[in-house]
Formats: sequence, structure tokens, C-alpha cells
Amino acid sequence: MSASTNGHALVGLVIVSHSASIADGVAELIAQVAGPDVAIITAGGGPDGTLGTDGDRVRKALQAADSGAGAVVLVDLGSAVLSVRAALAELDGDATSHVVLADAPLVEGAISAGVTASTGASLSDVAAAAEEARGARKL
Amino acid sequence: MPESSELVRLPPSVALHARPAGAFVRAAASFAAAIEVCANGRQANGKSILEILGLGADGGSELTISASGDDAAAAVAQLSELVATFS
Repeated sequence: MSASTNGHALVGLVIVSHSASIADGVAELIAQVAGPDVAIITAGGGPDGTLGTDGDRVRKALQAADSGAGAVVLVDLGSAVLSVRAALAELDGDATSHVVLADAPLVEGAISAGVTASTGASLSDVAAAAEEARGARKL
Repeated sequence: MPESSELVRLPPSVALHARPAGAFVRAAASFAAAIEVCANGRQANGKSILEILGLGADGGSELTISASGDDAAAAVAQLSELVATFS
């Protein structure tokens, strides 16, 4: 359950990667930086542990991450975007209105979104924080 | 609008890397005041984890924490205390 210390729901995150190891590692890193309150659901790898994306797992992750305040989805590459879009198309309209696919680099976007979500920020603010990562300098 | 600023030093063994930066940003976000951190001649929005990480502040380096808004003084006091006690 993702809730802030004062009880209202926090925006959740979904991490979609071709690699389960990448998805799990990103989730672990976010939890270290953003604290334990933000729900981070991973959908990494294809069916049977292969590299790829699994539409069914993505759909379940989208449903699991939203505990009322919505969810922001971060993806690694190409077909992860297609999998998320396909999963959103299968969910009903009410669910999809609370899920935002962020156009952002995976690691930086997830850290930025996770820390922002942990402060109780709104869905649009968390999505904006993820997309800020597009322009962030590393050096 | 009330403004406040303080020069603080990171503990020698703590760089402003991901975990402490996350703690700083989460604390900063609890204040209404706009918060800015300067280090190494760069400035960062105190509520942006990526900007704070981009400062590249090493252990022992000086940070100037500035705030502007009604709770500026409380924000600078709490954030300075947080930085000084990073371990």
C-alpha cells in the first residue's frame, strides 16, 4: 500500500524493462533514494524469463501500482512502449486515466519521479518530474 | 517575501550522492518556500533530485542553502541541520 505518513495515497511507479534484472535494480535504487512509502511495481523481461516484455505482466503491474493517486510508467526501450500502450488499451477508461506513460530516461526519470512521489505530489507533478530527466545534465 | 540563507559544510565523508540527496529533497519539499542550493559554482533547485545530484558536491564541500517564502527561515534551519548531520 502506498501512502504517505499522513495517510493519503501516493502516486505509484511502474518500471518496464526488457530485463528483469534492470527493472528490479531500478526499483531497488528508487527505494533507497525515495524511501519505503512509494509503491514500485516492476514488469521486467518476457515470458519464461527471456529478455523482452510481457504484456500480461505489464497490465497487472499497471493495475497494482495505482492505489488511488495514479501511477507513472517508466520504460527502457522501443517495444516496452508498445507493451504499455497495448496494456492500457486493454484496461478500462477509468483505470487508464490514472496512468501516465512518461517520456523519460529510465533510471534518472524513475529516481526523479520516485522522490517527487514520496513527497505526496500529484500525478501530473510526478510525471513532470520524470520528464525533467530528459534535460538533466549528468556532469 | 521572507528570505533566508546559510552556508553549511558537508561532513568530510559524505558526498551529496543519491541517498543523502534524496533525503535533502524530500525534506525541502515539505516547505512552501522556493529553495536553492549552490555548490561548486553551480546552483540547483533544492526540490529537484537530479539538479541536486548534478551539483557534484563532494564530502567536505560548502553548500549555500537559500530559501524564499513564508517558511524560508525554518526551511534553511532544518535543511542546514540535516546536511550537518549526514552520515
